[in-house]
Amino acid sequence: MKQGPTILTRREFGKVLAAAPLAAGAAQQQRLLYSINEVGIGLETFSFHDLPPAGDPRLIPTIINNMREIGIGECEIMSGHIEPWPTSSTGWWVQSRRAPGFQQLREDARRWRLSVPMNYYANIRRQFEDAGLRIYLYNVNFNETFTDEERDKTFEAARALGAEGFSSSTVISEARRLVPFVERHKMFVAMHNHNNLVDPDQFATPESFETALAMSPYFKATLDIGHFVAGNNDPVAFIRKHHDRTVNIHVRDRKRNNGPNRPFGQGDTPIAEVLRLIRDQKYPIRCYLEYEYGSFRSSVDEVKACLDYCRRVLA
Amino acid sequence: MSGLLPPRAGVVLVAVFAIAALGNAQAPQAKADAGGVPAPTPELERGRAVYVLSSCHFCHGVDLTGAQMGATDLMHSPLIAADQNGNFIGPVVRAGKPNLQTAMPSYPDLTSQEIADLAAYVHYLRRQGRYRELTMDVGDQGDARAGETYFNANCAACHSRKGDLAGVAGKYAGAALRARILRPSDDPAPAGTDRTTLGRLQHGKLLERYAAADVRNVIAYLREPSR
Repeated sequence: MKQGPTILTRREFGKVLAAAPLAAGAAQQQRLLYSINEVGIGLETFSFHDLPPAGDPRLIPTIINNMREIGIGECEIMSGHIEPWPTSSTGWWVQSRRAPGFQQLREDARRWRLSVPMNYYANIRRQFEDAGLRIYLYNVNFNETFTDEERDKTFEAARALGAEGFSSSTVISEARRLVPFVERHKMFVAMHNHNNLVDPDQFATPESFETALAMSPYFKATLDIGHFVAGNNDPVAFIRKHHDRTVNIHVRDRKRNNGPNRPFGQGDTPIAEVLRLIRDQKYPIRCYLEYEYGSFRSSVDEVKACLDYCRRVLA
Repeated sequence: MSGLLPPRAGVVLVAVFAIAALGNAQAPQAKADAGGVPAPTPELERGRAVYVLSSCHFCHGVDLTGAQMGATDLMHSPLIAADQNGNFIGPVVRAGKPNLQTAMPSYPDLTSQEIADLAAYVHYLRRQGRYRELTMDVGDQGDARAGETYFNANCAACHSRKGDLAGVAGKYAGAALRARILRPSDDPAPAGTDRTTLGRLQHGKLLERYAAADVRNVIAYLREPSR
């Protein structure tokens, strides 16, 4: 059995969390939050629905400002926020592949990925670090439109960003293709689920995760507890069983039976139970806020509300 | 109500529009929020509330442009074109689309009134968007024969090139003629008459369904010297 990537023990995890604000630099005026009662807290940058478009030079500074305004120090950042292409142009959504002009966009994105110097990513990492922030995961939706060369470059990009690994909305068939890449680059890919229960290639059930986890020790889970509940699965049971392979969870609240996203505490997702389980069992699982319910208020205001909810249940 | 709107939201909305009405034409344009630009009437604003609070805008766009995550382009969807008062939109929204790669959630708790409000708002956004899109069309000159065919099938019940539209092509040039065809809502015909109301409804429906070539062809037909 090959050794997997280093997964922190709970004691090491606690030390990292405690040290992170120091690493952020004493010069930072605002105290950034990395944990609540030793539960690692971060956010998925998808939560920011009102950002400038992909490739806009204001995009990264806006994410940084938003994170600092909210006061959260760590994130999982979407490739669509790093690359000058929306995620739809790199092939994840099958429906988007049918759009006119998609093939040309996809080729342009590929050429860019293969030619961009790594200091492009290092510069973004520096901007985050200068603001006291950390990119922990690079969210790239690997799919069959990637070439092997492109997969290799994407792993190099994640390293240049300072990410420990990937979170990925991907499919089981793509996970099989990724095995030699995770092992060569010694970097984990955490599978992110949705709730499509019809397509057996999708990550949506405990069994779909287990299929990938058995392929390589470098495969982990990013459990989206809201989508998991929308697919009528039990996130508490999953975390109890797979806490050692779960890198982070996406915290959102959805109703069962493919129900809608709701403000935290108003759906069927046992957010409080999950967070308290992670706290009480001292599982080294990061909890990343993902705001996707409807509101007239800004994303920043709503992520603050999500954070307040987590503070209350973890108090 | 399904509980989408907070209890006092209706009171606030009425108050907002009452104030706006007092200000009449001098009122400043309503300020945009995370759900787009406030709608021009209380009824449409109710629909906007359903659209935004159900987070439709994250995937379908605040103004139906820029659909994301594989979502249907509602600006050009044939289902929306065929919908009347939510008869097609309602069942899809209530059931969701669980088979999509990133499933569209279901909204079984929406009331019939909320579905009707949502549908009215989606149609409103679509007409706004299609008007912008079609007025910016810079395609070819159009085919007068195809325009005649389209006119006979869709316009001739109310209009005649030699009757009420005689000389219209000479009266309005270029973009103005196109704009009048797309949205003749400021016609000087007596407001509130059945004919005007029905005509506006019909033009609204056509606006949602025109292909760019249809408009070019009809203009070519109207500009053509009488045979």
